[in-house]
Amino acid sequence: MIVQTRREFLKHSFLGGAVLLFSGSQIYGAVEPLQTLRLVQKDLFPKAEELGVDSASYLLLVLDHSRISSQDKEFLRNGVQWLHEESLKLYKKLYYNLSTQQRQKVLHEIAKYRWGEFWIEDLLLYTMEALCSDSVYGVNKTDAAYRWLGFRAGKPHPKRAYL
Amino acid sequence: MIYDICIIGSGAGGAPVAYELSRAGFRVLVLEKGKEYREEDFNKDELAVSRRELFTPDLKEEQHVIYELDADKERKRYLGSEYGWSFWNGSMVGGSSNLMSGYFHRMKPNDFKPLSRYGKIEGANVVDWPLSYEELEPYYEKVEHVVGVSGEVVQHSFLEPRKSAKFPYPKLAESAVTKWFDRACLSLGFESIPTPRAILSQADLGRESCSYSNFCGSYGCATGAKGSARAALLQKCDLTLITEAFVYKLESDATKVTKAHYYDADFKSHEVSAKIFVLAAQAIESSRLLLNSKNHFFPYGLANNEDQVGKNLLFSAGGVGEGRFGFERLSSKEQEELMQVGLFFNRSLQQWYEYKDGQEQRKGGTIDFLFEHQNLVPRIQRTFYDEDGNIMWGDALAQKIQKELTSSRVLGFEVFNDWLPTDECFVSIEESVKDKYGVPVGAIYLYSHPDDLAVGEFLAQKATQVLEKMGASEIRYSISSSPPPNLVAGGCRFGDDPKKSVLDKNCKAHALENLYVTDASFMPTGGSVPYTWTIYANAFRVAEMIRQKLELEKSLFSS
Repeated sequence: MIVQTRREFLKHSFLGGAVLLFSGSQIYGAVEPLQTLRLVQKDLFPKAEELGVDSASYLLLVLDHSRISSQDKEFLRNGVQWLHEESLKLYKKLYYNLSTQQRQKVLHEIAKYRWGEFWIEDLLLYTMEALCSDSVYGVNKTDAAYRWLGFRAGKPHPKRAYL
Repeated sequence: MIYDICIIGSGAGGAPVAYELSRAGFRVLVLEKGKEYREEDFNKDELAVSRRELFTPDLKEEQHVIYELDADKERKRYLGSEYGWSFWNGSMVGGSSNLMSGYFHRMKPNDFKPLSRYGKIEGANVVDWPLSYEELEPYYEKVEHVVGVSGEVVQHSFLEPRKSAKFPYPKLAESAVTKWFDRACLSLGFESIPTPRAILSQADLGRESCSYSNFCGSYGCATGAKGSARAALLQKCDLTLITEAFVYKLESDATKVTKAHYYDADFKSHEVSAKIFVLAAQAIESSRLLLNSKNHFFPYGLANNEDQVGKNLLFSAGGVGEGRFGFERLSSKEQEELMQVGLFFNRSLQQWYEYKDGQEQRKGGTIDFLFEHQNLVPRIQRTFYDEDGNIMWGDALAQKIQKELTSSRVLGFEVFNDWLPTDECFVSIEESVKDKYGVPVGAIYLYSHPDDLAVGEFLAQKATQVLEKMGASEIRYSISSSPPPNLVAGGCRFGDDPKKSVLDKNCKAHALENLYVTDASFMPTGGSVPYTWTIYANAFRVAEMIRQKLELEKSLFSS
């Protein structure tokens, strides 16, 4: 369901519009936020993919929820811009054009800023929500994350996705 | 149609009145702001219930303005929606009792006479209640049987007098770790008490037994075992229940409330008439409704000509603490016992409900122990930072998460002591901020008396001694003046003096013949236990007064 509606969703989503990047005072170019966020999520918590948890699809799902404030969404989007700008400053390349090692270096650099620390924490939290989600949400389909943590989910399970 | 009784709010304060009056054959109308959920609607969806707060209003639509008194005695203003500061609990039929953990303690006899017993405290408006423990005791007992309380009565220093020797339901199945706790208490000379719970340990009262689902507090109960106002009372009533009905004004003449005005889900306004009105919308919201109901006879708000509505707002003082039990210090049998989920850790300490501080006899409180909530996301979130306070990610984080969640468990405690009533803690109206209905929101003025922290600190130190004796590591606690939004009372205190209280002994407004307030608003002091059992008991008591009044009127009318 998520995949089928993704294109339609992106048209309206705040993640659908490009983010402008600056290098110094000059406009450098534009990037699509979702592509960046997907890669950062992988870099921050590769275990999710190993467990078959689709944390990027979950991000799309949850950020459409009314209880996620526009400030929170804007912060995620701004973080994409600032991440790439840090990447340009360090390596003169966009984040997703860096090697794995270089990307980790950029993440360590941004973690020194308050915004960077909070941005990483936000992305980790959404990843963990995906990991902990009931199978009804379609992103933790096999409950592998539950088994990994020896977690016994509460019953009854939800019959339908609330998000 | 004129109802015999119109009840605003369907939680622990309103439902007992609805239950008693509808069973006595009166025409009862309940107006509830939230939606109706039944057992079949409840599940353990952490994302919906805990992360996205399914059962509380969206702060963008309904909020409070909070004024906190800082160290320089300056008020700092917080707009609830801007700071994510919520005072909502459960907006639904049955109110927050659906989501409670059901830790049920009675208040003690001395809680009803704190001024006489402990004396005046400077800066606090401590008063004796116009009601004694002995008068409320039959209703505490009634709650045990009608709502359903399970537990085991054991002798201890502050066991309150009881007419019945036992709880009607045996205690719930317990984690084997409670034996570690009991041993630690024995060696420390502490009195371990099995915590009574408003949860059925066996099927009865038309409800199923607890299923030990491992998710209780914050979640609706899918078996009906939890004694929510909905499952225990409202679902058994023959009455008119209107949901998604937000009462925004009570209309009155000089002596009586005549109508309640409410908005439905489409923001359409309606009005209803009744002989008696009972307000039980939760302490803050009940005061807000009265203050928003100004008219010619009550220009400062209904029942507020003495400027008492909203005053002496209370929370539960105290705080929380915890310790971690890791596998490295445990035998394989103990490891297995530790990780057994679903069973309850029902243990409390009340040994210091009163204690000596030098020559002074002080009021203490209650300590409840419980395993860390099983919600996964917060348990994972607390692993995000390393020992130096740096955020972690990648494989190192994954390993830490797995280790902490699969080879250790946190045992926590909650301290409950009196939040002293003061002139600085009250509810008012913020005229400039409106909710989604266009009605001015409540303004909450916060202040915690210094004694609140001192008592909490004393109790927390006792709790940590038990954790140390049990062999826990990473022991810590936090006693603060932050108000727990699920433990709120006061604002319409009852008393004998109409100049210093809003309600009389029977929770009827001094100024109006037919307005009662039966949520926790009536409490002039909070006691040192969670409030729900006392709210239920008092509402059953007031219901009996109202029933007698209506029956008298009926017999006079028919004769």
